[in-house]
Amino acid sequence: MAEETNQDEMVGYRQQPGKLPFAKPGSGGKDRFSSPRDQEMIPKSQGGDLAQPWGSHRHDELISGQVIGKPTTLVDGKWKVTGQAQYGDDIRLPGELIGRIIRSPHHYARVLSIDCSKALELPGVVAIATGVDASNKFGVLPVTKDEHAMAVEKVRHVGDLVACVAAEDEATAREAERLIEVEYEVLDSIHDIREGLENSEYPIHDRGKYHIGEANIQKRVFQEFGDVDGIHDNAIASHKQNWIFSGVNHAATEPHAVVGHWDPSGRLTLYTPQQVPHYVHRALADVLEIPMHQINVYRTFVGGGFGGKSDPFPHEMCAAILARKAGRPVRITFDREEVYWINRGRHPSRIEMNLHADEKGRICGIETDALIDGGGFASFGHVTTYYNGVLHTAPYEIGAFHYTGARVWTNKPASGAMRGHGAVNSRCAVETGLDDLAEQLSVDPIDLRLANLLPPHSATITGFRVTSIGMRECLERVKEESGWDKKFRKMPLGKGIGIGCGFFISGSGLPIHWDPNKFPHATVHLKIDMDGGVTVHTGAADIGQGSDTVVAQSVAEVLGLPLDMIRIRSKESDTSPVDLGSYSSRVTFMNANAAISAAMKIRDELLDATVEITGAKRDKLVIGDRRIFDKKDPAVGISYLEALHKAQEDRGALVSSGAYRTPPMGRTHKGAAAGLAPAYSFSAYVAEVSVDVETGQTKVDKVWAAHDCGKALNPLAVKGQIIGSCHMGMGQVLSEEMRYGRTGHLMNPDLLDYKIPSVHEMPEVFPIIVESNDPEGPFGAKEAGEGPLLPILPAVCNAVYDAIGVRTAELPITPDRLLKLIERKCKAEGINDPRELKSPGLEYSDLQTILSERSEEHKKRDLERRLNEDRQPYHNGALFGLDPTIPPDEIDEKWAVNVIPSADYIEKPRLAGSAWKHTERRHRGDS
Amino acid sequence: MVQHRLPMLPSAGEVPWVASVNGTKKKLNIENNAILLDVLRDQAGSLGTKRGCDMGTCGCCSVLIDGEPRLSCLTLAAEADGCEITTVEGLADGHHLHPIQEMFAECGGSQCGFCTPGFLVVASSLLEKNPSPNDEEIKSAIEGNLCRCTGYQQIVDSIRAASKILISEENIEDYTSPKSDPHPGFTGE
Ligand code: FES
Ligand code: FES
Repeated sequence: MAEETNQDEMVGYRQQPGKLPFAKPGSGGKDRFSSPRDQEMIPKSQGGDLAQPWGSHRHDELISGQVIGKPTTLVDGKWKVTGQAQYGDDIRLPGELIGRIIRSPHHYARVLSIDCSKALELPGVVAIATGVDASNKFGVLPVTKDEHAMAVEKVRHVGDLVACVAAEDEATAREAERLIEVEYEVLDSIHDIREGLENSEYPIHDRGKYHIGEANIQKRVFQEFGDVDGIHDNAIASHKQNWIFSGVNHAATEPHAVVGHWDPSGRLTLYTPQQVPHYVHRALADVLEIPMHQINVYRTFVGGGFGGKSDPFPHEMCAAILARKAGRPVRITFDREEVYWINRGRHPSRIEMNLHADEKGRICGIETDALIDGGGFASFGHVTTYYNGVLHTAPYEIGAFHYTGARVWTNKPASGAMRGHGAVNSRCAVETGLDDLAEQLSVDPIDLRLANLLPPHSATITGFRVTSIGMRECLERVKEESGWDKKFRKMPLGKGIGIGCGFFISGSGLPIHWDPNKFPHATVHLKIDMDGGVTVHTGAADIGQGSDTVVAQSVAEVLGLPLDMIRIRSKESDTSPVDLGSYSSRVTFMNANAAISAAMKIRDELLDATVEITGAKRDKLVIGDRRIFDKKDPAVGISYLEALHKAQEDRGALVSSGAYRTPPMGRTHKGAAAGLAPAYSFSAYVAEVSVDVETGQTKVDKVWAAHDCGKALNPLAVKGQIIGSCHMGMGQVLSEEMRYGRTGHLMNPDLLDYKIPSVHEMPEVFPIIVESNDPEGPFGAKEAGEGPLLPILPAVCNAVYDAIGVRTAELPITPDRLLKLIERKCKAEGINDPRELKSPGLEYSDLQTILSERSEEHKKRDLERRLNEDRQPYHNGALFGLDPTIPPDEIDEKWAVNVIPSADYIEKPRLAGSAWKHTERRHRGDS
Repeated sequence: MVQHRLPMLPSAGEVPWVASVNGTKKKLNIENNAILLDVLRDQAGSLGTKRGCDMGTCGCCSVLIDGEPRLSCLTLAAEADGCEITTVEGLADGHHLHPIQEMFAECGGSQCGFCTPGFLVVASSLLEKNPSPNDEEIKSAIEGNLCRCTGYQQIVDSIRAASKILISEENIEDYTSPKSDPHPGFTGE
């Protein structure tokens, strides 16, 4: 038709509405017409109807109105509901052997000898391996590699690996397990965290010249920011509480399982349900002494992770070692009990929390001391030690922050990263402390928070760059929707309502393997051939949170395609670009950003091809449902497949790669990188509870859960994450704990005594999504996987106080613990019947008006800051009269950052702070 | 614990076992002390039935024996001899999913999906007996199943939604039906 075109009459290429052009090879299928773009989904900045109260976004023009923001079914959902999803133990290779692990029965012992002769004689036993087969250390962080595949010299907790065996079937393997004779020399074990701070005869690990004293201190942190010396002069109200938090386990429904297989070309494939396949890849290379390219890590479906499948694990090494020895594939599957022996759950902790408020109701100081129990190994503990402090320096503007933290080794299964990594316990302590401060000041605790928030685009006292903040909206929404004003301090005895907030990283600014390189944190590859389907290669580990779906959505949105045209290949390290894994709530933020940038390159090529065919101006073209067309005149346009085929001329399949790396951020003091993130999520929950004063039983009835996730790419998944977080946090606050007996033995390594909430314990949760449109997030998104867990704990604790006037300082709040507190309170008040207790009341003081006014003012300030692109910098400290545009330590000497304790402090340290009484070996002149 | 672990009880021998698994007659030789879950996973080819704890605490291994939900990890295979066993693989009708499957995928009832097979068979048996259960009935039916991901709310939503579909007798689409056409025409905007 082009030949007959009269240039004057017709501008470019024109398609008759409703008329299908000739069929193209590769075409066919359902929905033969492109649907018009849904104006409701196109942002205002692009001429659509989607309101943007938080301003426009750099990805606005990529919105084609397909899937972003729509409740979306998981792309692998059908696999899961048909039973066809293969998890670790579902990988069955021909000729497989069953592996079992021989574990230590002792808390702490030297392994003197291992006699495998009897086991080897057992028919059906094919291979046995012990520590001598793999002497190289591995670990999560390059600086704290302290694990072996199996014990070399010592076992460090009950359940620690000693040897492993592969046999023809499970019964034989278990029998062989029994026949392996291990001789131990039992050493004095330590179980109390506090003991870890003392010098010991045989420290659990030897850090060489970096060893701290002769103690079991794995990591210690000292930090002071702001006017620490002025805290006590400025304070008119202070809160102090000594908390004890039990350890909790992820309790993912799928127990760990792994299959190792060496193929005939000499390469190892390790099938494992891993959150972080890349670290396993590195660790395997170290342990097996082979180059990384000889290994293919295959991530199976993951039956729940929550941090519990993010370490490189010794049993994964064992499967590879056994398979190598046996010359056959080896499958190892854990019993539920073994899941507890490997643990990596939340650290049992003792936290001293001190909060101070001044006469204007400002938080003039937070002093935290956190002693955390690392168990036998380092795991992620280096980071956890920092996170226990730095992750509660926001969302509030504070006058001073003093943190001492220490992580010690004890003879327990190792603690590690668990959903809300390092932030959960200390956040609970802060938020309940604020409740107490509000009570002391006779003000409403929500108003106290609203009057002390950092504004959007500000820096915290620790120098973290915070971009979007939806904290205020979260608080306002839960306050309104829960009917707070009518309920707080007004409900009868036994009924209560409480508030809690949260703040969490959305990806970590510094990757754990911070080789001096500029590797991206996430990379996504796309391949599109003539069939039009898009193959996405990503290494992001889908652990059920829906990362495959989010990546598919991002690509689909940019290219204007339905999700059924996108296929994700994310399982094998052979085909997927390196990704740092599913931890730190980084996947949506980083992978979707990488996916968008890869898709943008393809989009450009499609647009160029469209220009070539239609002659339309490039800047007038938009992408809609499988079609590219002139925005003003949709008749001028071509189908996606036509554009694709044009772009493919002379070169075949389109391929592209997109990557994401965090921008340079933060300050330079020691530890400054811990807690840095390209964005942060915020949340506020209100919980309503019923407490039976006669039995101490607490039931959470309702939770209003507002979470600022930037932009909900998939609201269905975000809500699922919020409710799921409530479930997990509810467990920790009310029923879950790893209970160690008097002799240090774990008493409940099973799902019967380790009580995770059943459907009957779950409250009704009202998820409220707040969208603050983060400038760097993909389409504005931030995390929603971990942050939503934080507020539920303090919200419940505060609600319990509102109900019966009792403050707990020990989690979980089991009926027996609570009943003791109730009895104590009755005794103190001379009451016989607990039903006569009075629940707390509230008479506002004058400060309440000051706070309300300030929060109104700040609301205006925040609105202006979030919309104004040329905003001035805002550093924490402005609320205390400092110039907001300059970092406070540059203005005022009193605000100087300090990371080394003074001699005075070491004289009178707090609990964890006493770790600083020791001197590192290298500074003592010993080797 | 570990050092006292008992050897697995030796079996007295193999016995023939016949059962209908998802409508197919399976004739197997099993050890006479075999646990149903092991037989299903290792011999009868139902890897969809999951093992979460092996001690009756999680519900992942739920299957239907003659239509009744049972924990296969606590059931001797011999008890199910001659019975009709339905596992998650048996819920769909060819390429048409059971409404409960469709809705679990649709409404967020399945996140990591490991608990899903258990919930699905339990819920399908509930809906079989009571096509329009109220929320309390739904909750009681699934009280023996643990889910660590969803917080149950979207599971309850899914079951409710499936019940609606069942009652309306709406058809679930064949999942092999054609997908989107990459070369669509233009309807005019
Ligand atoms: S595996 Fe049967 S109940 Fe857990
Ligand atoms: S979806 Fe993961 S345990 Fe239920």
